[in-house]
Amino acid sequence: MRRIKLAAVASLAMMVVLIGVPATYAKTLYVGGTQSLTGPFAEDSAAVLAAIEDYVKYVNTTKKLAPWRTEKLPDDITLEVLWRDDELKPAKALPIYEELKAKGMVVARISGSPIALALKDRLWEDGMGATSMATGPYYLSPPQSCFTYYPIYTDCMGAIADWFKGNWKEARKPKVAYLTADNAMGKSIEIPEMKEYLEKIGYEFVGIQYVPLVPTSPPTTQLTWLKEKGVDLALGVMINPGSQPTVKEMVRLGMGSFQPYKMTFGVASPGHAVVFAEAMGELGDGYVCAGSFPSWDDPAPGVKFMIEAQKLSHPGKFVNHIMYQGGFLEGMIQVEALRLALEKVPFEKLTPRAVLENGFYRIKNLETGGISSTPLTYGPGDIEGVDEIRIDQVQKGKVVKVGSTPLRHIYTKK
Amino acid sequence: MALGIGTFQENYGQDMAIFHSKLQWGSAVVFLAFLFACPLFCSDRVLTIMTMIGISVISVHGLNILTGYCGQISIGHAGFMAVGGYTSAILCAKLSMPFWAALPCAALAAGIAGLIFGLPSLKIKGFYLIMATIAAHFIIIWTIIQLHSITGGADGLSVPRARIGSISLSSKINYFYLVMGIASLATLAAKNIVRTRAGRAFIAIRDNDLAAEVMGVSLWSYKLQAFFIGCVYAGVAGSLLIHYYSFASTDQFPFMDSVWYLGMLIVGGMGSTTGAVLGAVALKLMDELVTIAGPILSAAVAPQAAASLALISHGLIIIIFLIFEPRGLHHRWEMIKAYFRLWPFSHEVSE
Repeated sequence: MRRIKLAAVASLAMMVVLIGVPATYAKTLYVGGTQSLTGPFAEDSAAVLAAIEDYVKYVNTTKKLAPWRTEKLPDDITLEVLWRDDELKPAKALPIYEELKAKGMVVARISGSPIALALKDRLWEDGMGATSMATGPYYLSPPQSCFTYYPIYTDCMGAIADWFKGNWKEARKPKVAYLTADNAMGKSIEIPEMKEYLEKIGYEFVGIQYVPLVPTSPPTTQLTWLKEKGVDLALGVMINPGSQPTVKEMVRLGMGSFQPYKMTFGVASPGHAVVFAEAMGELGDGYVCAGSFPSWDDPAPGVKFMIEAQKLSHPGKFVNHIMYQGGFLEGMIQVEALRLALEKVPFEKLTPRAVLENGFYRIKNLETGGISSTPLTYGPGDIEGVDEIRIDQVQKGKVVKVGSTPLRHIYTKK
Repeated sequence: MALGIGTFQENYGQDMAIFHSKLQWGSAVVFLAFLFACPLFCSDRVLTIMTMIGISVISVHGLNILTGYCGQISIGHAGFMAVGGYTSAILCAKLSMPFWAALPCAALAAGIAGLIFGLPSLKIKGFYLIMATIAAHFIIIWTIIQLHSITGGADGLSVPRARIGSISLSSKINYFYLVMGIASLATLAAKNIVRTRAGRAFIAIRDNDLAAEVMGVSLWSYKLQAFFIGCVYAGVAGSLLIHYYSFASTDQFPFMDSVWYLGMLIVGGMGSTTGAVLGAVALKLMDELVTIAGPILSAAVAPQAAASLALISHGLIIIIFLIFEPRGLHHRWEMIKAYFRLWPFSHEVSE
């Protein structure tokens, strides 16, 4: 009987927790949202969460939004970070979204493509603006209320192609091929518009080679194929566990920007150059990455700000994961949307739709101190934030910014 | 089903009845009335959780018929849900078919997929069948991604909000009623299926397929029937899931979901309709508790470590049930009922 009573008490407690007691907090605004702290994006999400918490602590302490900004958050407003782990499962993200909304959250966040696909229409219906760690063509089917801070992969590819073509000295057409991850992310660049764009700006398109997302053996066959076809530029979407072994094999085969067989390998943001350079050193020289973030030794004021914010929050521990920078941007965007909305709507009347229309849509040229490629601008139908794409190359083991090209909006899906 | 003191069955009709007493009828009616009254006092969040639980219950019923009753272990259930989900999505989005017509088509398509991938069960069983069903999952997902022009491939497919006649199912309350209605019917159907000739054949195959075959049970026919029925349930669940999201994507049917559905069956009790419901409810609720506990615990440990609780707790619960209560929550429930039936002369009910 004791066990039955215990079970009954536990069930009751569970019901109380699930139904929840509506809480009212005086002038507290929530930022953050759903995180994918379990699963493939766990490391990324942990860094994002740490950054949002650090940024919120900075704003709460100083009421300033960034060292270079004069605007302030109203003194009577306190920010609080609210998060839940969705394990990158859409089925978990839905109730989490409802819970956070019920708690009074008026901004949201997207932690990955599966969550984006599950939530985007619901967010739009609720008029909820959200920052998004995921970026993909699915956001370009209007209308949407999810805002990214780096470009979609096809635009990254276009940026590298533009930059490479700008430096092309020979009379013949440069040959381009895809060397990309063998999954949905890697294949997302295989759209007719991408090939048309490459051919339009003067490339000869050779073909496609796939590499497993995380290769279990060197991609010798694929690289040899590229060499035999005389490819000058290989483009792809890879994460670091894919790009690093690929480049090692390239070097072994004498291929690369600074190798006997000249071929440049360029990837989109998931193959972050900072992470790559740290792991590969000079072996990775020539590797190009578009749409990523600056390195931690970059003199940009945004980088200095992030380092200071970390010292303020946790002086003994430095989070150097590159997605910390993404999280910091998300914190900046959410807080800016709230601040702008508060200019037009009193705190008591703040709703998700009010923040979307008076906050997110009014973000114009938000200066991020060089963390994002350009200052961020959003509006109805304008969800990509940046106007240009930063291009980095690994040179002598260091990340060097080699250019910045305008967004081409290659994907035209409607 | 054990009867209360003083209740006797006098004919086969009474013996076969699902509810044996007025109290049981009353309890079922009160439970259903309570369930359907939930939108009156539950928040959007609780309704969302309950809707997701309802969809899981339908799916786990299918797996229970296939694995719990017929003994054909499948770890490809999420793949079959994807077949149903995508069929419904394509019919609604590309052919403008109404939801009520697309739903049975989704069930049928998943059933046919089940028949195809169930064929190996005629030759292989146990570990090898598990491998075949895992392969089925990946083949299905691969096919969906390759058929880009029809399914949207990796980009997914936007699905219009479900409607039945003039009733829009876009609101959480309407969808909750739809899912709970179908889940109730699915539970009733599952309960009845196992009381039919086919249901008895399933159990015979599960307990000893050789003996069943010797007795004249056609393994060929009944194993495929079990696959068909189990996958029809998966198809309905997949269709409901896709229409709830209003978007079809292969990401919504991860392989691990198939594993957790099997886990729900273990926790609830294999070979029991009540167990399938209890298992789905228990693991889904635990999922929610862990989600809430994560940020609280993150004050003591790193957020990532706190968040990992979900995976750890799921695994732990399944191991604990396998060791200490292999017959699942259903058995516990029966023991609790036995305790009160015998009260005030209750004794510690053992096996």
